[in-house]
Amino acid sequence: MALIELVQEQIIKTPLESQDKPDLLRELVQILKDTGQIDDFDAVLQAIQAREDQQSTGLQDGIAIPHGKTAAVSCLKLAIGIAPDGVDFDSLDGQPAKLFFLLVAPPDQPGPHVEALSEIARLAQSKAFCKALAAADSAQEVVELLKGE
Amino acid sequence: MVYVDGTEQSVTAAQYAICLASFYSADLTALYVINTRAMEDLLRARIFLKDEQVEYEHDMESDAERYLNYVSELAAQKGVSLTARSSRGNVHKEIVNAIKEDDIDLLVIGELSRIRSRRDEFYDEAERAMRAAPCSVLIVKDEDKVWEMFESLG
Repeated sequence: MALIELVQEQIIKTPLESQDKPDLLRELVQILKDTGQIDDFDAVLQAIQAREDQQSTGLQDGIAIPHGKTAAVSCLKLAIGIAPDGVDFDSLDGQPAKLFFLLVAPPDQPGPHVEALSEIARLAQSKAFCKALAAADSAQEVVELLKGE
Repeated sequence: MVYVDGTEQSVTAAQYAICLASFYSADLTALYVINTRAMEDLLRARIFLKDEQVEYEHDMESDAERYLNYVSELAAQKGVSLTARSSRGNVHKEIVNAIKEDDIDLLVIGELSRIRSRRDEFYDEAERAMRAAPCSVLIVKDEDKVWEMFESLG
């Protein structure tokens, strides 16, 4: 499944409400729970947290890509969150993170998982585009930006 | 040659390819590409840790074996001889290389994403292979119809 197929308004939340990293991860996983994409909130959060415990997925320029594998999902799941004021995410560049792409996949679907992460990685290379995404006022605007409309 | 990537669409493509091979007494190859290029990019971007890259590569190797065995079994059920092949690297380039090396006449791939973004960052490897392939390309759709066709094959 291409990443773009997962992009819809329901999985996008702006602005995020959380003020710290643990709450923010919970809030992102809650997006998947609220949209009926996952049943087991704790299992998904555990998978995401396990990866964060190895090293923060906060990169540079305000982008973070929390991700993980769990059998609690049947296929690739995406949630997007925007924190306009930034949240301390222990990012590699020490700066607050504003744009979050949470990706979780079942362990037996590594291909789509890797491909989706690659697409996000390519997006992250465009500072101007990421800045535009982080400044988006609504989920609809985020969808339009990602679809290139 | 049918490109298999572990998606349902690629399994449907394999079923259709088996039917074609049976109808035309053609040689059939199934190819799975372990996307090491993407994993190197993710490591370089610091999205993957080194251990993660090793882990996902191992997962993809297992995925390759699982799906190539599965399509081999599907082919055997219908008396079609299938050559299973896996390679590593950049997906669309490996597909093109395999087409040239094996003198493939037809590339069969699963249905592409129905949603397209105008942004260059979103691209489907199978779609890139479709555009780059030096042979004809067949995109298989309608999973239910293909299943019926496959089931009815003697």
